[in-house]
Formats: sequence, structure tokens, C-alpha cells
Amino acid sequence: MKTRLRNGRWFKHLPHLRCGSQGRIAFRPRVLHLSAAVLLVSVPLSPCRAETDEPAPDEATLREEAKRTFRRKVEPFVNKYCIDCHGPRPEAGINLRSALKTPGTASSSLHWKKAVANVKVNDMPPDYADAIPSDEERQEFIDAIGSLKYLAPRDPGPFVIRRLNKVEYGNTLHDLYGVSPSMADSLPEEVTGEGYLNSISPLQSELFLEIANKVVNQVVSPEGNPPTDTQKRFFGTTTPATDDQRDTARGVARSLARNAFRRPPRESELDVLLGVFDLGRENQLSYTDSLALMWKAILVSPQFLFITPAAEVQSDDTIVRLDDHQLASRLSYLLWSAPPDTELSELADRGELHEPEILRAQVARMLDHPRSRALFDGFGAQWLGIGNLEDQVFDPELYPQMDIRLRKAMLDEARLFFASIVRDNESVFRFVDSDYTFLNERLAKLYGIKVSWTGAKMRRVQLDDPNRGGILGMAATLASTSFPNRTSPVRRGVWVLEQILGERVPPPPPDVPELEEQDQVDMEGLTLRQRTELHQSEPTCANCHRVLDPIGFGLENFDAVGRWRDNNKAGTAIDSAGQLPNGETFSNPAELKHLLAKKKTEIARNLSERLMSYALGRQLDGYDEVVIDQLMVKLEQDQYRVRTMITEVVTSYLFTHRQIKE
Amino acid sequence: MRQHAHLHRRALLKGAGVSLALPWMDSVVRATGTKPAKPPVRLGFMYMPHGVIMDQFWPQSSASFLTSPPPAIESLRPILDQCLMMKGISGVPITPFGGAPHALELSTWLTATLPDADTRSRINIAISADQIMANYVGGHTLLPSLELATMPQTWKENQAGLHEAYYSHCSYRSPTQPVPAEIDPRNVLNRLFGKTGGSGRVTSANPLDRQMLDLVIEGARDLRRTLGSNDQGKLDEYLDSVRAVERRIAAIEQRQQEAALEKAGVRSTARDASDSPPIEVKIPEGDKRSEYMQVMCDLTVLAFQTDTTRVSTYIGSTPNGVSYPELGFTDKHHSQTHHKNREEMVRKVAAITKFNIDQFAYMVNKMAGLQEGESTLLDNCIMMWGSGLEDGDKHTRENLPFIIAGRGGGSIKTGRFLPHVRGNQGDLLTTLLACAGVPVDRPIGIASKQISEIHV
Repeated sequence: MKTRLRNGRWFKHLPHLRCGSQGRIAFRPRVLHLSAAVLLVSVPLSPCRAETDEPAPDEATLREEAKRTFRRKVEPFVNKYCIDCHGPRPEAGINLRSALKTPGTASSSLHWKKAVANVKVNDMPPDYADAIPSDEERQEFIDAIGSLKYLAPRDPGPFVIRRLNKVEYGNTLHDLYGVSPSMADSLPEEVTGEGYLNSISPLQSELFLEIANKVVNQVVSPEGNPPTDTQKRFFGTTTPATDDQRDTARGVARSLARNAFRRPPRESELDVLLGVFDLGRENQLSYTDSLALMWKAILVSPQFLFITPAAEVQSDDTIVRLDDHQLASRLSYLLWSAPPDTELSELADRGELHEPEILRAQVARMLDHPRSRALFDGFGAQWLGIGNLEDQVFDPELYPQMDIRLRKAMLDEARLFFASIVRDNESVFRFVDSDYTFLNERLAKLYGIKVSWTGAKMRRVQLDDPNRGGILGMAATLASTSFPNRTSPVRRGVWVLEQILGERVPPPPPDVPELEEQDQVDMEGLTLRQRTELHQSEPTCANCHRVLDPIGFGLENFDAVGRWRDNNKAGTAIDSAGQLPNGETFSNPAELKHLLAKKKTEIARNLSERLMSYALGRQLDGYDEVVIDQLMVKLEQDQYRVRTMITEVVTSYLFTHRQIKE
Repeated sequence: MRQHAHLHRRALLKGAGVSLALPWMDSVVRATGTKPAKPPVRLGFMYMPHGVIMDQFWPQSSASFLTSPPPAIESLRPILDQCLMMKGISGVPITPFGGAPHALELSTWLTATLPDADTRSRINIAISADQIMANYVGGHTLLPSLELATMPQTWKENQAGLHEAYYSHCSYRSPTQPVPAEIDPRNVLNRLFGKTGGSGRVTSANPLDRQMLDLVIEGARDLRRTLGSNDQGKLDEYLDSVRAVERRIAAIEQRQQEAALEKAGVRSTARDASDSPPIEVKIPEGDKRSEYMQVMCDLTVLAFQTDTTRVSTYIGSTPNGVSYPELGFTDKHHSQTHHKNREEMVRKVAAITKFNIDQFAYMVNKMAGLQEGESTLLDNCIMMWGSGLEDGDKHTRENLPFIIAGRGGGSIKTGRFLPHVRGNQGDLLTTLLACAGVPVDRPIGIASKQISEIHV
């Protein structure tokens, strides 16, 4: 097998693909991005406003170019080498006949990605095939597939009204009615962002009703008791005369529904609510209790539980802009995990929110607000893979200090650090390389940093030690990537590649022990060189591990809970020197960190893609890739600043539009 | 044939919170002269990921099954005559998702279906066997089905581009709707029996709530008309789930009426005088996994015993690297499964497997000790424990490991190990549903036949 270093890719041939493994084939194959980058250079791309409804003029050019490439490079290749097996009766589920017919669709792109992965590692066509393409043909095919994103129809991707997730639902109850967000605790835990299920089951509906009952009982005082403030605010202070009750109730319904639906209610919706009020009255409920029943109906209505459009779309278009109220909700739940506040709501009422300058200003305002910590809790923790730290098992004999308070401090450090980078609008590479962090007494002690103060309060600390500072030298991430009883250089290596640089590391094939599991005891006493040789003695593993291991071992000075150490458990001095695949060398964690921080484009692209997926609640595909390309152009012009990235995601075509028909 | 009469048994609860006892009411005696209808068949599933150590799981031979069972199933020894094991049931072949063995082991387990390849980034698979049963018998009970899990279903790992929820969900209400599971035993208890036991109240139900939901559903239909087709599908899920709540409230109302009638001396329900009293459920204070799993098992037993539901799934563990400190080591399950026959790792995987089967055994042993009419609760159940891989080391799925306990109301011939069965996971599920009395008009997933050897 010949190694191709074109494009500087780190995973040239993935041995696991030989076992039929595809790894993650969603959106992140860098192969495609890089060949796309090549194309972008050859065709000048003037930055377009992502928020406009019109596609950039260059897209048409690129699309024509991609069509030509497709006809010249892809079609003949597939017809010559692939179609016999991957035609009407597709082997291994790869159907290139249908992909040839509709090359730009999302389902075709899955087939292309699998095809290209196999062609790339010389796995396909198989050795016994009549015709085998030359290396040059292979490369042309791979490059051509990379330009297929320009064939994807310009659309904002699949869109379905979204249910509030558990956190959003709890926060919404809190913001609107002053009850504790813990009201939502009995709901099942959910994945947020990309991977969000957005489904609703009888269990959840039952709990929504139960919780609505609790909220109403907590807020509405029993008959004869003085009303609560919230009750007065929504229900008024007096019971109107019998003849006026329905009219007054309609007013109450209007204001309750405006908040709960996060948009002005339609008259027909108020009619339904009045029907519930009448139901209460007919069943001899008091005026107040009938209002409470109506309120409960609001809390179990789809308009409350889902973000629904303000009005019916009277359009033949398949794609429309989100209405301003939908946009306000989408934005508010993204940055705050909470419903739009008064300012956002008023902008939506005036129909101004979608105006780019106003939208940008709102993003800035919302990021300044303390509520934007929700962006870390939802997105940041997921990106860093530290969401599970509180429940992670650590061997209590080896790491007795890992109690819940220390773990919380570790998470706080990550959160405060994330927040400071967003607040100061730093460049995204600062996540990797910075000279400060946030510590309390116990965490400082764990890090071996002398501080003049004591206590559990987290404080900003300027760092002298270049090994600390940034997410690579942070206990939360170092511990999250460890096993219960020791570090895992492999997992740390994978973490750096995937979470920081956005590479895709294929899973190990079956029947192969995790490498470090094999010879853990023996490896303790070995030097890095010896260990690396050991890995390379397993050919199936060597291809990936020669990339992963040096990075992982480069962080070996940090133990499984993030403490610094010079020697390992066996007493051998830790040798964290290593080399990146491009030949750059490092001799300690600090140098590794500096090398990685220089990869600004990779870091920025990875983070932009992840944030976009999170914001849209789905994997990226097809045309999304073109939008990310455009976003990257802008981001580069602004030194990859993190607020620019967030703003560009929010103002992007993908975030501000929806598809109403397939 | 529906067997309503026997089924409306009340669970009387005393004291909420940590310990909850269900006292037996001596006064409730079967009305004279009426012979109870045959008890209903209940179907329960319990899952462990990553396969087993095969030579410690499979019995040596049919003959040795009862006399010298393999170490993994030792805890089932008291009731092996009520168990059935079969070798030769294969899982769904997972090509073209070769890179996703763990994302698919659980999601294909009760669907016997692969996710749709073209829409893999969304959930699109098939209704699962438990939900098919729930659709058929769920109307008779307070809850159509019970879904439990030990860990939150929030594992984020993308394999082969598949939606991450495939990793941790086994129950699907429709091809696009995974059913979430409950992980907090207190919530399960509240849901099954209500917070306030005592005084004959099963659980609170407000008839006005049901009428209110009716109006909300009407309103949702109005909204639906203004939406695009994609959004309409989502709203249909909402409508479906709210209707289920309505039905549940109606069922609770009915039980409340019956309870009131009984209090007034009018007997509307019958249960056999020899029936065991409802078991006691204690919610443990600590965080020992065995105790946690046992309370979930208890809740399943109680739900079946009181006919609160007839279908359950319990994801005892998900394929996301859980560890078992109780066993004296903290290594994560998956990290040990690629063991290449290394002794220490094999020992740990075997211990984890035995631990999981022990909890299953705790549940079915308990069922075997509960009298129900002229039989035991277990006699009227089909309890299946299993894994979605055979060998976690090689990811093979040729001979899926599973154990069936219970005679399914007399439809299953137990006390046997059948070493050479031919069939697949779909065949097995189809057969089990048939044993549970569900008319299966369409085969489940890749099924092409029933496993006739199961039957008496």
C-alpha cells in the first residue's frame, strides 16, 4: 500500500476500512474539505453575506465546474471500475447507480464518502477485478468527489419544529413563572444539539402534565388564600363580574399564551383556551381555578412544548426565512437555553430581528449576559467531552481526592475558562494555548500551584508554568479521557485529534485489544521509542497509532486526574517527547500545546462545524459544507475570533432559514 | 380472547418514599363460584451489551444443562427447569454498518432491523417487538409498557454516521420514535402506583384533565393544518403521546371507580385467594449497582404482578463503557471485552456477565416464588435476558446469547438447552410474540419463520 501525503492528511490509509469499517462518515472527512480548499483557491471566492437569501454568484460557477468535473472524472471512473458490483444490486450497501443519477443529494453523499474511503486505501476495486485504476486516476476521483458539495441543492437542510429539551423546558418554567428549574428533573435525560432526539413519548407527555399540575398548584393559591405575585401578574387581582369573566379570561389567555408560545397567539388558539376556561366553569370550578385549568392547558400545548411558526406560510416556496419569533426562540435557546427576553420579543414583534445588524447586536448583547453560560453547559461541555465527569468512576484507592467537590471545581475551571474566551472575544486557538486559568484552593493544590489565598471560590490565576493553560492542561479534560485507574494515551490522542482538530479517527477493528491494554504492565518501563515500536509491530494498528500515540504520550506528564508527574508509577522518568505526522517535534506538553495551537484553521473549522451542528440539532451534510466554507473565509479575516464565529453561525443561511417542503 | 375479569387487581400502597410496602388485603377474596380466567402472558426483556465468554455461557450439552449448568447461569439453577436456552439464533447482519457494532447491538436487538442507510443521521428503524406487544395488549393495563434503564440514554458516540440515539435505545414506538427509558426508581414507583398510596387510591387522576386534554388535542389539530408536512409528522407524535395520557387517565378513573365500589361492598373484580400478596419494594440508599438493578427488577415484578403493565424492557447496561466497582475492579466493561483470550480480561468479562445474569436471576427467581391462580407469576411470563453480540472480542453475532425464563402461560417448553437451532433474531422475536398471544401478521425485521422448537 502506498502512502500518499498529498494534502498533508494524517490518516492516509485506514487499515480499519479493510475490515469494512467506515468510522464516522457524517460530515467531517477532512479529505473532502481539503480538496475543497484546493478548489476554493483556484476559483476566487468573494465573501458573500451569508444571511442574504440569494446564493453567492460564485456558487453558480462552482456548481458548473463541479458538474463538469463530475462528468469528466467521476462518471467514467464509476462506470469503468465500480458499477458492476455497486449497481442495481449494490454490494455492501453502496449503490453508485443511484448516486450517479442524483450526485448532490445527502443520501448519495453517503455512498460517495464510503466509495472514496475505499478507493483511497486501495481497498476498492478489489485485487481480483479486471481493471485496476492507476494512482493518478484514484486521486482524480477522490478530488472530484470533494467538489460534489457544489452539486448539493442550496437548502438549509431538513427542518422540523423542535421540542424544548429538558434543560430548556425547566428554564422556561423558571423564567416565565418563577418556579425552580428542578421542576423538570423527573424528565428523562437528553442529548442536546447534534444528536437531539426531538421526539415525544407518552412518558414525557405524562410528565409534562404532571409538572404542569405542580407548577399551577405552586403558583395559584388555594381558594381563600392571598394570591401569589405571579398569580396576580397573570390573573389580575380581582374577580370580574360574571358577565365580564369570559372577556377578562380572554385577556388573561392572551398574555399567558404570548409568553408561553413565545409569539402572539392566533385568535383561534385563544378560542381553544377559552373553551378550557368554559370547561372549568361548567364543572363548577371557581373563576380562578378555571383560569388555572386554562393555564395548565397552555403548559401541555404543542405551542408551548415546541417552537412553532407564528403564522401559516402562504407560499409556494420550499424554503422560507424563519419568522422573527421563531428566530428569537432559536437564538435564545441556543445562547441561553431559555426563552426570549423582553428585548428579543419586542424586536420580533416589530419584525426587525432578522435584520443582520440587529441580529448581530443581539448576539453580542446575549453573550454579555451571564445567562450565556448555558452555551458552555450545553455546547462547551459536550465539545470538550467532560459532561460525564461527575459520574465517572475513579479508583478510590488510587485517587481518593476525586470527590464531588473537586470534580465540580474541575468543571468550573473549564466553564469559567470557556466563558472568559467568549467574553474577551479571543481567537479560538486560545482555547488550546493560554497563560491563565481559574482555580480554587483544592484545584491549585492538585496542580501544585502555590496561591496566597484559600477556599472553595474559583479565582482567575495567571500561570507561570507553560504546561498548564488551555484545555490540554486542564484537569477536567485530562480526567475525562482517562480510565478509572490510569491514563489512556490512546484516548487522549483521539481526543486531541477529534475534539481539537476535527480529525476523524476510525474505531479499532474487532478482535484487537485496545493497544495499551495488551501490554500495560510491560510498557510501564519502556521508553517512548520502545513503545512506539511496539505499536508498530501490529500492522493493523500502526497506521493510526503512530499518529495517536505520540500525541497521547505527549500528555503523559499529567496523571489520570490531571496532576503533574515526572515519573510514572513504575518510577521510570516520563518521556513525553514526540513528533507530529508532519515532522514537527515536541519535547513536553507545553511544546505540544504550542504546535497544536498553531493549527488555527483546523481548530476554527472544527469548532465552527460543531457549533453549527449543535445550533441546528443535526449532523451537517451537503450544502452545509459550502456554508461552512464561506463562514471560514470571514472567520479568517477576523483572526478566528470566537464571537465572530458564533455570530456567523447565528446569521448564517442555515440558521435563519427552514425548508417547508421536501 | 381478552381476559379482563381477572385483571383489575389493586395495588394498595402504604407510605411513599424510601420504602414502600403493599399490604395484602385479606378481605379480598375471589367471588364464590367464579373460576378465574387464565392469567395474561407478560413479556419482559433485559439487556447487557458486548457479548459473553462463550465457554462459560453455553451449556456443554442438552443433557448437562440441568445437572451441571455453565458458571454464567449458576444463579438460575433453582429454576432451570423453567428456563430455555438455544444456540443458533443469529443477529441482524450489520453490513453496511461494519463500523458500528456497538451502535447497533442494542437498536437491532428488539427490532431485528437495520437502520435505513440513506437517512442514518436520523432515527429510522422499525417498531420494536415490545412495542408491538404494547400496541396489542397495552389497552388492558394502566401502562401500555414499561421501559427501564440503568444509565441515562445520552451516550454521544457517532459510529458510521448513525444517529447517536441508536446507541442507547432498544424500544421504538414507530420507526422514527425511540421510547425513552426511566432510570430513577422513585419516578418509576410514582408512575406505577402514585405518590400517595393508602386509602384505596391507585393514583391521582383528574377527569377534568382528560377533558382538558381533549380540547388541547382539538387545538393541536388546528395548528397541524397550518404546518408543513414535516412539521405535521412531528405534531402527530405529540398527538399520539397525549392520547396515550388521556387513555391512561381514563384507565385510572376506571380503577378508582372499582375501588370505590369495592369499598362500598360491591365487588367488581376478582382475584384468586391463593395469589401472593404484592411484593415489597425498597429503594436503596446507597449507590451499589446490584441494589439499584434489583430495585428495577422488583419494580418490573410488581408491575407484572399487579397487572399494571404486561410488557417491559430493562436496559441493564448500555454499551458505553460502564464499570462495576462492586466486582473489585474499576475497568470499564468494553475495555475488557477485546481480550484476545488474555486470562485476566476474560475473567473480568465473565464476572461482569455473571453479575448481569445474577440480577436477571434475582428477578425471575422472585417471580417463580409468587403464586398466581394455580400457577406462578413466572409461569405466565416470558422473560428474556440477552446481549446483542455473541463474542464481544470479535463482534460476532452468529449465536446471540440469550436466556428465556418462564413458560409463557404454557406456550413454551422449558427445562431445555437446544444446541442446534437455526434461525435469526427476528424469528425468535416473532415466536415469542406468538407465545405471548400476539397475532403477528407481519414478521419482525428479518424474520422468515417461527422457531418451532420453542413451543410445547
